[in-house]
Parts: sequence; C-alpha cells; structure tokens
Amino acid sequence: MSAVSFAGADLPIRDDLLEAHERAWAAIARPGTWLTGKQRGAAAAEIRHAAGCALCARIKAALSPNAVPGTHDSMGELPPAEVELVHRVVNDPGRLSESWLQSVLARGLSDGEYVEIVGLIAMVMVLDTCHRALGLAERALPAPVAGEPSRYRPAGAKKIAAWLPLVEPEDATEADGPMYPSPKAGYIYRGLSLVPQSLRDYWALANEHYLPGQYVYQFDKSIRAISRPQTEILAARVSSMHQCVY
Amino acid sequence: MLRESMKIEGQGVDLAGLTRGSSAGVDVPQAAELVEFVEAVVARDAQRTARVRARLRSGLGEAGLVDAAAITAAFHGFVRIADATGIPYTTAAGGRDVPELREEAGINEFYRVRDA
Repeated sequence: MSAVSFAGADLPIRDDLLEAHERAWAAIARPGTWLTGKQRGAAAAEIRHAAGCALCARIKAALSPNAVPGTHDSMGELPPAEVELVHRVVNDPGRLSESWLQSVLARGLSDGEYVEIVGLIAMVMVLDTCHRALGLAERALPAPVAGEPSRYRPAGAKKIAAWLPLVEPEDATEADGPMYPSPKAGYIYRGLSLVPQSLRDYWALANEHYLPGQYVYQFDKSIRAISRPQTEILAARVSSMHQCVY
Repeated sequence: MLRESMKIEGQGVDLAGLTRGSSAGVDVPQAAELVEFVEAVVARDAQRTARVRARLRSGLGEAGLVDAAAITAAFHGFVRIADATGIPYTTAAGGRDVPELREEAGINEFYRVRDA
C-alpha cells in the first residue's frame, strides 16, 4: 500500500480530485466531533474489513436482514454497536430501517457518534471505490492525529424529517460553520448536519467526484470529461444496485 | 436527474430498464459499458472491472474514464448517507422525482419491500 492517493495510476488524475483525496484522508485521521483520531482510524479500518464479513454475506442473501443470527467478523477494535453500524451500512444499506437504527443507539452509541461514523463510512467508500474502479490498490490508512473531539452539537438540530435530528438551513447558526451550498439544499445535503464537520468533510470530497452544488441542476452542461447523461447513467445504476432512490 | 439531462438533449430514457440493469432504452454513447462498469465495481469484481475499464478508456478517453470512476465512487457515499439517516426520499432530485417517476423506475418497489 502506498501512503499517497492514486499511486501507480497511468491515467491523468485531476489535481482537484487528487487534492480532495489527500484532504479527506487527513480529515479522517484528525480528531472529529465525537471520536478521537484513533477511534476514527479504527472505524476506517473496520469499514475496509467489513467487505469480507461472512455474516454480512448471509444477511445480504436473506429475505429479511433481521432474521440472521451470528457475529460480525470484526477487527476487534470497535464496540459491538459500532461494528454493527459499520457492517450494515457498508454491506446492505438499502434495507436499513429506523427500528434498526434505534437498536444500534440503544446499545450505547450516541446519535452524534452514529452520524460521524456514517460520514466516515461514506468517505472511505468513496475513496476506496474510486481507487478500485481505476484498478489501483487502496491507499494506506493515515496515522491518527492526537487530540480531543470538539463535542460540538448544533443548537438548531431537530428530529422532524429524518430518523435523526437534522439542521434545516434556516436553523443553521454561525457557530455551526458553513454547511449548505444554498438555503434550498436538498435532504441529501442535510443528512450529516447533526455533525457539521462531518458534513463539510464529506461534501468537500463528494463535490470533486460528482458535481459541486451549483452545477447539480444545470442539466445542459457538464464540468466533467463525460456528458451529463453519461454521468447520470452511472449515478442511476449505482443507486438502483443499492436499492436507493438517490 | 437522468431523465432531466436526457430531456435537455431531446431524448427519452427507459428508467425501468435501467433500474434492472438494461441500457437498451438509453440512447447515450457508451451506455452499455457505463452500466457494466458500475455493476463490476459494485460487485468488487476486479477482472470484470478491468475488462470494461479498457473499453471505457477507448470510448471515453482517459479523462473520461477517471471521471466515470469518480462519479461511480461518489454514489457509493450518497446512497449510504441517504439510507443510514432516513432522509425522506420523496424530496430526492430536488423534488423532480415525482411519484409517477418513482413508480415508472421501479423505485417504489424497493420501499414497498423495505417497509413491509
């Protein structure tokens, strides 16, 4: 494994894409809002490890994901609730439910920790999938950075539209820091808003892979090297394979 | 999003077919290779990915292949955020995802099964 993103690529990697990957790995290594750098690094390692879990394969194949007994094949660094969260979101995200989420929280995970880990899962999946799609080896996980989590919870977070509290654009405060590309930002932007730093870290990465917010609804232009319909074919097929409307 | 971008180009799209993995009703260059690329990447099938990557490199160019990989990767994150936080899917695609469209694409079937 290399300690640099896109090592060995024989393709022209955009500078902004390369920089986004390096920034994302640096963010993963730093202390977060509810987790230390070491805990975040352990989560990143478990996210990678989860792909080979035998229990997850049985759950994925079962008619009901809730009727499969067993223990996840974990690296042993995370508490059981975090292992369950990581494995189910990595391997079978299309069949999660609010009752499943509540069962994870009931095992001792806070809603802020849950959202921070979901943000890490999303980031590591994007980073590793991009490498895998280009035939590249995974980048080595960065060494954790020492320090304490900020433990910042947005004052305006409310549970209304989703399974967890969100910060609606009109409830965001200056203390939250920048979160949304516009006051009309869709719910996909708001999903991680209970942990604003996770939201910022994720979207800084995602924008360089898909499209920055200001281009999403400009269907007549493409800022990428493929056309907009080609872009949306990829998006639609990934989403349908994950049984997700997004 | 796909339907809107196709409309701009004056084309239609078979969303139900695409949901099932068929690119037959999609009149876009390299549509079949793009669909196959996604399926190989999602399945973590390195050999199949390598084969279709070679075809895309030829059809889209090197920069196009990089962007195809990046976009495919991006949606591996979006779907997990959406599904793990339970954001309302009725607001997807900025409200352009109307109920008839969800039915046509077969998306409602996912949710009927999940919510049963």
